[in-house]
Amino acid sequence: MNDALVFDALRTPRGRGKSDGSLYEIRPIQLLKVTLQAIAQRNQLNTKMVDDVLIGCVSPIDDQGYNIAKAAVMYAGWDTGVSGMQINRFCASGLEAINLAAMKVRSGWDSLIVAGGVESMSRVPMGSDMGPLMYDPEIIHQIQYIPQGVSADLIATREGFTRDQLDRYALQSHQRAEQAQDNGRFARSTIPIYDQNGLLLLDKDEYLHRGTTLEILSDLPPAFSTYGEWGFDDLALQKYPDISKSNHVHTAGNSSGMVDGAALLLIGSRDIGKEAGLTPRARIISTATVSVEPTIMLTGAGPATEKALKIAGMTSKDINLWECNEAFASVVLQFQQELNIPDDILNVNGGSIAFGHPLGATGAMLLGTLLDEMERRDLQTGLVTLCVGGGMGVATIIERV
Amino acid sequence: MIYYQKDIDNIATLTLDMEGRSVNVINHEIREAFIPVIQHLQKEKRKGVLKGVILTSAKKTFLAGGDLEYLFHANDPKEIFRFAQEMKAFLRALESPGVPVVAAINGSAIGAGFEVALACHRRIAVDNPSIRLGLPEVELGLIPGGGGIIRLLWLLGIERAYPILSNGKRYAPKEALHIGIIDDLAHSEQDMLQQAKQWLLQTPEGRRPWDRADASIPEGNARQLKTAKLIRHLTARLAKESHPELPAPRSILKVLTEGSKVDFDTACRIESRYYTELVRSAQCKNMIKAFWFDTNYIKEGKDRPQGFGRFRPRKIGVIGAGLMGSGIALAALLNGKEVVLKDVSKLIADRGKEFVESRLKEKVARGELNIQQQQEVLSKITTTENAKDFESCDLVIEAVFENRMVKQKVTREAEDYLDDFSFFATNTISIPITKLAEATRKPAHYVGLHFFHPADEIPLVEIVQGEKTSDETIARAFDFVQSIRKTPIIVKDVWGFYAARVRNTYILEGITMLQEGYSPAMIENLGKQAGMPQGALSLADKLSLNMVLRYEKQAAEHYGPRYIQHPAVKVIQFMLEEVDRPGLKKRAGFYDYPMEGSPSLWSKLTDYYPSDGRKSRTQKELIERFLVAQVLEAVWCMQEGVIHSIPAANLGSIYGWGFPSFRGGVIQYIKDVGLDVFITNCKRLQRKHGQRFQLPSKTKQILRHDPALFQS
Repeated sequence: MNDALVFDALRTPRGRGKSDGSLYEIRPIQLLKVTLQAIAQRNQLNTKMVDDVLIGCVSPIDDQGYNIAKAAVMYAGWDTGVSGMQINRFCASGLEAINLAAMKVRSGWDSLIVAGGVESMSRVPMGSDMGPLMYDPEIIHQIQYIPQGVSADLIATREGFTRDQLDRYALQSHQRAEQAQDNGRFARSTIPIYDQNGLLLLDKDEYLHRGTTLEILSDLPPAFSTYGEWGFDDLALQKYPDISKSNHVHTAGNSSGMVDGAALLLIGSRDIGKEAGLTPRARIISTATVSVEPTIMLTGAGPATEKALKIAGMTSKDINLWECNEAFASVVLQFQQELNIPDDILNVNGGSIAFGHPLGATGAMLLGTLLDEMERRDLQTGLVTLCVGGGMGVATIIERV
Repeated sequence: MIYYQKDIDNIATLTLDMEGRSVNVINHEIREAFIPVIQHLQKEKRKGVLKGVILTSAKKTFLAGGDLEYLFHANDPKEIFRFAQEMKAFLRALESPGVPVVAAINGSAIGAGFEVALACHRRIAVDNPSIRLGLPEVELGLIPGGGGIIRLLWLLGIERAYPILSNGKRYAPKEALHIGIIDDLAHSEQDMLQQAKQWLLQTPEGRRPWDRADASIPEGNARQLKTAKLIRHLTARLAKESHPELPAPRSILKVLTEGSKVDFDTACRIESRYYTELVRSAQCKNMIKAFWFDTNYIKEGKDRPQGFGRFRPRKIGVIGAGLMGSGIALAALLNGKEVVLKDVSKLIADRGKEFVESRLKEKVARGELNIQQQQEVLSKITTTENAKDFESCDLVIEAVFENRMVKQKVTREAEDYLDDFSFFATNTISIPITKLAEATRKPAHYVGLHFFHPADEIPLVEIVQGEKTSDETIARAFDFVQSIRKTPIIVKDVWGFYAARVRNTYILEGITMLQEGYSPAMIENLGKQAGMPQGALSLADKLSLNMVLRYEKQAAEHYGPRYIQHPAVKVIQFMLEEVDRPGLKKRAGFYDYPMEGSPSLWSKLTDYYPSDGRKSRTQKELIERFLVAQVLEAVWCMQEGVIHSIPAANLGSIYGWGFPSFRGGVIQYIKDVGLDVFITNCKRLQRKHGQRFQLPSKTKQILRHDPALFQS
């Protein structure tokens, strides 16, 4: 079987996902175009050799609708022979695109694929695509489908995580993020975004709140208590009657932020790498998807990781560096506790709490960040995992080559 | 049935007057009668000899609801769907573009009756506060089936239509105008007809918004994000405010949501499909059983001792101007009685009157009373400190606090002024009537009338027959309770009577689970999931653990050597004796009750009763235990003659302590799960949890005949 090799990873900076964000004026297809052009240029790629472009996107409507993947491929001026497909596995869409690319390559039916994701949350807010899980009364009641923040609070309540614990974790994320940015750890893989006249719009992640302290974090109001009071807490208690009420401990400070961005990886077989003169950086060892109970929803990262490890014939001890998406602080704390992962090898450069979580793009960004850091630290193995809407979880293990 | 009359301005008046009935109802018959009439109207319109139509009623009511007897027995989905579609076709014909129709609403129009009004192009109602309008089908586990949901959707939009459809309210005309379900008020019937005619003369064609190409649903449909977000909010609120097994409010939201995305006639079919689903549901059948069949059985006086003439009390004496006394006074006043309210001083009695006044003001604000009626009601209450003022009362109810000496003292004072044609009632929850009667001179005329708090709202009264209470007094008490539009149930003078006795088994079962290692949160949540209004532990606190224990001790006394101690007793004794936590009054029970903020489960409870983390596997069984414990106690009550009929037991359980209405009440529960299944379940529970789940020996006999369903 072919190995699925990672040749390169690139991303845009993350812009604040609101109307005051630097990327708000930019259409998401533009973010993809720039990243596609950059990855082609940096690798001296003859785009004719690319079989497919897989793009994860969580709200594929409006600016992101009607198969943005193929649209972007054409807009970027790539060879007409390159196809494109947009996929949606919620927050793991970007990672899922990579995993799918790996599978295509390993099967031998495709040789070279660009995979990643895009999300402009400032222009296409979460839920804009209005599916039944969000807006259909019958589905919501039957599945007891609650907003993710309420699920995160439910995890914290059931695991006994206090507000202080969550805020401390958030503070660490901010501190690590600040340090990483100051030390230029992302410079190598981040493409600045310019307008059509070459005027700079954004060249580094801008969501980061520098100088955040525990005091600042602890002063923030709960972000999801209103949803809880509407009745989503009652819905949660229908499934989890073992708690008397949910503690609303998540805030804007210890949950991931809304941002805009895109990320891409170049994935292919050894043969195509030789043919195109590409140097492999890592090998995708295994991938896994799982699904867990959908009301608590965000506990899928652990089981996905276990499954990926099992497929790879590894144990958690064999992983040198970890990325678990910081969707909410309780998600990471619960995951860390479940797999007993040391603090100093998990989310070492901060994460979505500090930098923001551009939904469809995040999985691809995390894999790129992980690979850069593995190379910097000269470590062999790394794992990326994300909790996912609907109770799903996705994990990917890579190894440097 | 439908009288047709046309005036010189070519305005036809259709007057509904169903033969052999005191009210007009919607059934197959009236629908069929309408078809040729509508065809005739359309023909006349085409010929140019008809300007418009006024639809009104010759009865006191405009048009009452649908045929519940039919719906209770209907089960074939094809037939029910067709029934709903035919109803819609009839209303569609009435409103179809052409002849403008005004509903001239001279009396109440409820449910299907109001749907007819909604299918008219304009609704004008007489501003009479006793008229009620609305779509309260949810109360029977049902939804409108004649297109009423879709019409309100198009007239008002989702945000305004949803509460009207889901809160079960019947609106007075003023309120109805305010919320937009009628278009105008008239000060008299004549004015109503004149206004109707006026409007028809100015309106060349009747056409509903949904029949206009350019019209859309006010405030948008569910495809629009703003509306979708509102629906999500309403969906969440439903989880908070209504039990998952009450399907009707959920169906209303679904019909509004789905119906808003398609055209009117498709939306109507969607409504018919949900309607069919609900009509066939066990919950709906159970609710119709309780609120129609059982209620009618009680209303017809079948439990009332026979052979005594109807007692028509006019003037009521009430002793004690506390919350209970004032509530009783208010209930009597609102039903046209005169009330003499007595307390130790006139000053204190006046406080009761103030309470009455404030409640009346609220009713005026809601349009349920007008100022004149409010004054009239208020003029009927007098306050006093002198028992002599009871002289012309037809009955006196004592509602002073639970102390035997005090109760007996006030009874003796009042008795002197009552004649043989009246009776004296005590409102007690825990003192035996027979004991209280010892102090009276006329124990045959002495009876217990147990009102439930808040007395003006809870529609149930337990009539407690002491040893010497005569049948005639029971009959009078029955008539009195009915005359203030409450449901009377006759109960035996034993501990807790009926309601408190059965309710106690729910509390004891919850406390037992605590000792078995279930977490307190689980016990409380599953109690609510069973459909009970609150958790067993919080209910215990509210009543006080002393009271819970006292009932159980009285049971022990009653059964003597046959009594087997309930496992909950040890826990209660521990709470009372070891940790001194008797409940809400002391702000310490199973819960902590801080001066500020909401109560929370006592944190040390799990130190004494550790939870062993048993979870999902047993949840269904806990819910079952909560309900079956009550059901068995109710069957015992029937077997021991504590309560006399299945309808009384069912309604007593729903109104008295909030047994889930979607189960139809305690006895209907057995019918709902099926007698054989129920027996098997009890045996299983008995093996696991002991004698208290033993089936009473006469269960089958008791269930054999349900008098509410007996066709006489």
